[in-house]
Amino acid sequence: MKTQRWFTPWVLVLPALAWLLVFSVWPSINTLRLSFTDAKPLGGDVDFVGLRNYTDMLHDGDVRTALLNSVIYMAICLPLLTILPLLLAVLVEKKLPGIAFFRTAFYVPVIASAVVVGLIWTWLLDDRGLINNLARHLHLITEPVPFLTDRWLLLISAISLTVWKGLGYYMIVYLAALGNVRKDLHEAAAIDGAGAVRRFLTVTVPGVRGTMFLVSILVSVAALRVFSELYILTGGKGGPGGKDQSLVMLIQQYAGGFYGDFGYASALSVLLFVVTLIPMIVLARLNLRSER
Amino acid sequence: MRIRNLTAAAAALALALTTAACGDAKSDTSGTSDKITGSITLQTWALTPKFTDYLNEVIAGFTAKYPGTSVKLLDQPGDGYSAKVLAQASSNTLPDVINLPPDFALPLAKQKLLVDVSKDNDLSKTYVQGGIDAYKFNGVAGVFGYPWYLNTDLDYWNVKQFKDCGLDANTPPATTQELFTQAATMKAKCPDNFLMSRKPDVSDFVRAGIKIISDDGKQFVFNTDQAAALVDQYKDAYAKGYLPPSVLNSDYQGNSKLFTQGKVAWTTGGATGLADFERDNPSLKGQVTVSKALDTPPLYVQGVSVSAKSKYPATAKAFAEWITNADNQNKFGHLVNIFPSTISSASDSYFGKDDGTPAGKARALAFGELKDAKNLIPYEVNSDMQKLLDQQIALAVKGDESGKKALDDAVAKMNQMLSRQ
Repeated sequence: MKTQRWFTPWVLVLPALAWLLVFSVWPSINTLRLSFTDAKPLGGDVDFVGLRNYTDMLHDGDVRTALLNSVIYMAICLPLLTILPLLLAVLVEKKLPGIAFFRTAFYVPVIASAVVVGLIWTWLLDDRGLINNLARHLHLITEPVPFLTDRWLLLISAISLTVWKGLGYYMIVYLAALGNVRKDLHEAAAIDGAGAVRRFLTVTVPGVRGTMFLVSILVSVAALRVFSELYILTGGKGGPGGKDQSLVMLIQQYAGGFYGDFGYASALSVLLFVVTLIPMIVLARLNLRSER
Repeated sequence: MRIRNLTAAAAALALALTTAACGDAKSDTSGTSDKITGSITLQTWALTPKFTDYLNEVIAGFTAKYPGTSVKLLDQPGDGYSAKVLAQASSNTLPDVINLPPDFALPLAKQKLLVDVSKDNDLSKTYVQGGIDAYKFNGVAGVFGYPWYLNTDLDYWNVKQFKDCGLDANTPPATTQELFTQAATMKAKCPDNFLMSRKPDVSDFVRAGIKIISDDGKQFVFNTDQAAALVDQYKDAYAKGYLPPSVLNSDYQGNSKLFTQGKVAWTTGGATGLADFERDNPSLKGQVTVSKALDTPPLYVQGVSVSAKSKYPATAKAFAEWITNADNQNKFGHLVNIFPSTISSASDSYFGKDDGTPAGKARALAFGELKDAKNLIPYEVNSDMQKLLDQQIALAVKGDESGKKALDDAVAKMNQMLSRQ
């Protein structure tokens, strides 16, 4: 008896395919289409403007600033969030009494809302915030450190927030990977006289190399798409002069409100897509080369 | 992992990022009836539950006058109202009668989504000219809303801080330049107190007599030497410590909040401001004096517009006229410190009478001010442009750029945004 017709697999795949087409493929194609138009939120006549949005983008100082901020964000977050969580995971991997407390403590920032965390950091870093007040009382400073009003300090503050909030998440990813690193290799290395640092570099790191690659991809994509940290720390204004905006903030700014410019915002989205691809391709190439 | 897989993964990720939905708001006036009949919807902005009884009374009066009609009240929360209206407009679901301030009405009028209510209707017989003018826009012929109620700002001063810091609360600053002078006096006597607490914005340029936009409404022109000098004056004031450092911070909550917290000695606010300050900080009771706005008082107009897609346009227009008629506006004005936009309301002695209470004084002052009040922010200057200007002025006030450079940059960008509207 024939139990399966030729179309059965297609029927099973259909819901997922429909989902993909409606929520991924179509918005993507539509974004690309809109990037060549002057589409507005309220509709009206939509004209094809060719490459105008893209040429405008090339001459837009705000885009250059946002791109630079996003790249700096990624360049700093990538090594920190790839290496620090691994070290943290190695520290809390051991089955010691009370170690669960530390694992939980390191993970708490991950489950805290980005908005709440952002607000707390704003209060900490404000001119009259805890850090400046403390430093003043200790006579370390006479004038408040402009954490939230200086372009670079603001960017560094946001990066610190991202790193602090992301550590616990990637630590958990590494903890899962560390469970698969063979214990006998560690024992053999120890018998050969390798110390803790040497065993970490020659056994642990190669054992979690695939996970490190995954984490670096996730971190680079997340860093290039950064929004909430910068948005909250700058009160949505992108810092003095808007010099601390990321690309996503710029897209949000152009796409929002009655006067939103969907065409330009879509062109910026395409730029973000391309920019996001670059580190992924570079990392993938590096990974391939090291695998050979 | 292969590059092809990676690329696919990246594509999926970016796709999720780039959600773009664009509703095509086509203009099809589907009005079908000239008779005042049928069911319409009235959308208000954060008026319930405080004014539910009043609104229901207005609706009941209308349905009694026009049998066969019904009005459904739809009140939207205060936050995100523009986003809500935008969503309604782009999905062709604008309510029949909508509470829209002029800056929200402008883009809808440009897209022919609102009815020109001046057709066959001499609005100047009923409403004050300032209210009508607020709903006339450059480049679109017509009037796109009935003025509903008006308001303005007064200045509030902390009497105790004035006294402690060598100032006289009976003669507070009457102009922006006097504000600078008295801020210097306060700083000299009380280094931890502040009289000034906000950066300049478009309204300050208008107050100083600087032209904001060209006559044809196509170019911003306020990057003048005079405007730059004003920004530089704020920069000097900031450097000398006349303004609190928090005016540049992301968590700057506005001068009203700082005033309520007792951190600054001056704020602006509507006629109900005093009650709000005393409610939020009872220690301010008896410590606040009120005066007229600096230089030129601002005029704030709220109005109701009629959707061009209403199924019952005659009913919607009739209701918009009903809710904004003198009787209904006067009743509303008696409930809350706002002022009617109807000409005949001037004869209602309630609004101009100083009953001896601080609130009564504030109401009478504000009502008197309305004669000279002007719209200080042209409606072409939308919130994104204001944000952009604020960013540039922050740079200048901080001392990172000259006032002229900041204004030149802001105007260039704002003109680009204006050309895309």
